[in-house]
Amino acid sequence: MPAPPTFLERRTTGAARLSIGLALVIGVLAVLGRSADVAHKPLAGAGTRAPLPIGAVLALTGNANVYGQDQRLGLELGQTWARTRTVGRPLAVELEDGGSDEASATAAFNLLIRRGVLALVGPTLSQQAFAADPIAERRGVPVVAPSNTATGIPQIGFFISRVSAQSSVIAPLSLAEAARRDPDLKRVAVSYAQDDAYSTAETAIFQRALAAKGLHPVSVQRTQLGDNDFQNPIAAALQQRPELIVISAQAVDGGNLVRQLRELGYRGQIVVGNGMNTPNIYPICQQWCDGMLIAQAYSPELDTPTNKAFLRLFTERQGGGLPPQLTAQAFTAYQVLFEASQRLQARGALEGLTLADARLALMKELLAGRYDTPLGPIRFRPDGEVIQQRFYVAQVKMDGTGRQGRFALVRDQEQP
Amino acid sequence: MTATLLQTLLNGLASGGAYALFALGYTLVFSVLGVINFAQGALFTLGGYLTYLLMGGAIGINGALPGLSLPVGLPFWLALLLAGGGSALASLGVERVAFAPLRRQGAEPLLYLITSLGAGVVLVNLLQILMGSESYAFPASALGSWPASVAIGSARVRTVQLLLLAISALLVVVLGVWLEKSRSGKALRAVAEDATTAQLLGINSTAMIRLAFAISGCLAGVAGGLVALSVSISGPYFGISFGLKGLAVLVLGGLGSVPGAIVGGLLMGIVEALVPTEASGYRDALAFGILFVVLLLRPRGLLGRPEVEKV
Repeated sequence: MPAPPTFLERRTTGAARLSIGLALVIGVLAVLGRSADVAHKPLAGAGTRAPLPIGAVLALTGNANVYGQDQRLGLELGQTWARTRTVGRPLAVELEDGGSDEASATAAFNLLIRRGVLALVGPTLSQQAFAADPIAERRGVPVVAPSNTATGIPQIGFFISRVSAQSSVIAPLSLAEAARRDPDLKRVAVSYAQDDAYSTAETAIFQRALAAKGLHPVSVQRTQLGDNDFQNPIAAALQQRPELIVISAQAVDGGNLVRQLRELGYRGQIVVGNGMNTPNIYPICQQWCDGMLIAQAYSPELDTPTNKAFLRLFTERQGGGLPPQLTAQAFTAYQVLFEASQRLQARGALEGLTLADARLALMKELLAGRYDTPLGPIRFRPDGEVIQQRFYVAQVKMDGTGRQGRFALVRDQEQP
Repeated sequence: MTATLLQTLLNGLASGGAYALFALGYTLVFSVLGVINFAQGALFTLGGYLTYLLMGGAIGINGALPGLSLPVGLPFWLALLLAGGGSALASLGVERVAFAPLRRQGAEPLLYLITSLGAGVVLVNLLQILMGSESYAFPASALGSWPASVAIGSARVRTVQLLLLAISALLVVVLGVWLEKSRSGKALRAVAEDATTAQLLGINSTAMIRLAFAISGCLAGVAGGLVALSVSISGPYFGISFGLKGLAVLVLGGLGSVPGAIVGGLLMGIVEALVPTEASGYRDALAFGILFVVLLLRPRGLLGRPEVEKV
């Protein structure tokens, strides 16, 4: 007769049973989860003309909402433009508010991915992209960023790309223009939002460009996202008698900073970064916006068929005016996804695919294509970084009312 | 060195004036009810928006009625006054909805915090629906032909900041005189001291509580209008950070102490201004750190009086 199991043996057997039980439960949950995941089901609406859904996560609320407004318009114009060019299934945009923080953008990405979108456009801010893009990367969902310019965004992974050229390519152009206007420039002050990925990345580029010209900042002022009273940093900077102030900040903060700088008597040159690349800064800094130099990835003056079509749509929609860069870039983000999906459909390459496979096929097609966009001809590097030929330097010109203005083209530059 | 100190002092006083004005609103309600009105930040925001709209500003494209504006814009001073009145009315509404029902039932003070927080959230969301989430800036001509900044000795300060400080000081003095000298001010203090005894002496406690709410709302609205003129309205959550700072000032100065709110506000402003700009990320941390130290040394705040146990 076998001896009864000791206490230790009983415990070991119990632990083993528990482990097996847990493993089984996890396995079942994994199988159920996989079968419930829309990505592993066939692409919805196959064989019909039903639109393919893509998601857009834009900052419609919070501090960055001034960008989201421009971008929403760009996506809407993109859809209007595509209407007469659709041969397969069109792309329908499901828009979600990504707020101006990482948590909102992440939640919006998750929601849209669960709904089964084919690809994503967004999020608006680089800071948000560093939080939200890894989710899309893990789930294998193509992302086209229309406005992320911080270093390292496409390098998050294979599925992440952008149509917004990174700051390192564009930002130095406006500094070169400032130096051209004042060859004796010696004293430069720098200001940036130290808790914002875009601002910190851009100021590093600005400061490297300054160093390359032998200029070392006489003052570096660090602010916070959402700051609105800049009296202290301005007072500290002005004590150093700068001849040029270089600002990397989001639109509302930067607009306030410029206004307060001018109110406190600063009359020298101001170079601002991409965060202030929207006409929505005009009501904030008003007549004090006048004269700011900014490097841009878009010029309404570009004479190409797609840009002309884009300008016409913009004018029809807005009753006049010139489109801002963010609108052009959002249009471009939609356009590249649209054209890639149309090419796939024309080859029948989406037929019979699961959503996950369709997402992968779309990403490969996106990276392989060449596009004639409002930004000019663009294509992608294998890592998803945009290759764009022309960039511009503009100067803000405000009208007599001090409430309306425009980015007047100062110089354009072809990239080697 | 002197120039830097003067500049820092002026910067700090200007910010501190706004904090003091804000904290005074908290203080008035706290002194009569012994609870904090968390809707104060929303009333501050409301004051900013009302001033903007009354000056003829248009609702943005994300608002409920895009492009809508008054046919005629009022001068800033009149708009600010009316915005203070509007915020006072809204504050009375908050009292009626979030405080009066609980007071009648003798509810725990904690419940007032929750209901006032709820009222604040509702108000902010209503503002978001009506005005959208975009930022609004006041026209550069809001102060007429006044210069954008003025030189004081070797320092230079924005006119609007000086105005903020001057109006805060004026309101604080007026409020102090009213509380000390006027019949209604004394009645309010009596209610703050002991509402039941004040009622027995013929003072209408309910009316005094409503008066405290109206004044506190007015102060928040005026502070909101002034701060909005200075730094623009960044969105419907514009008043939240000021609300938190106002709370810190209230505690720093001593709960329910009017002089404490003023001293606390100015101190907070100056401490923030003293933080080197290289360490501006730690500005709030330093301000709240000082609050922590003060509370360790003086648990009732700088000018708070110890509570006398009645036997």
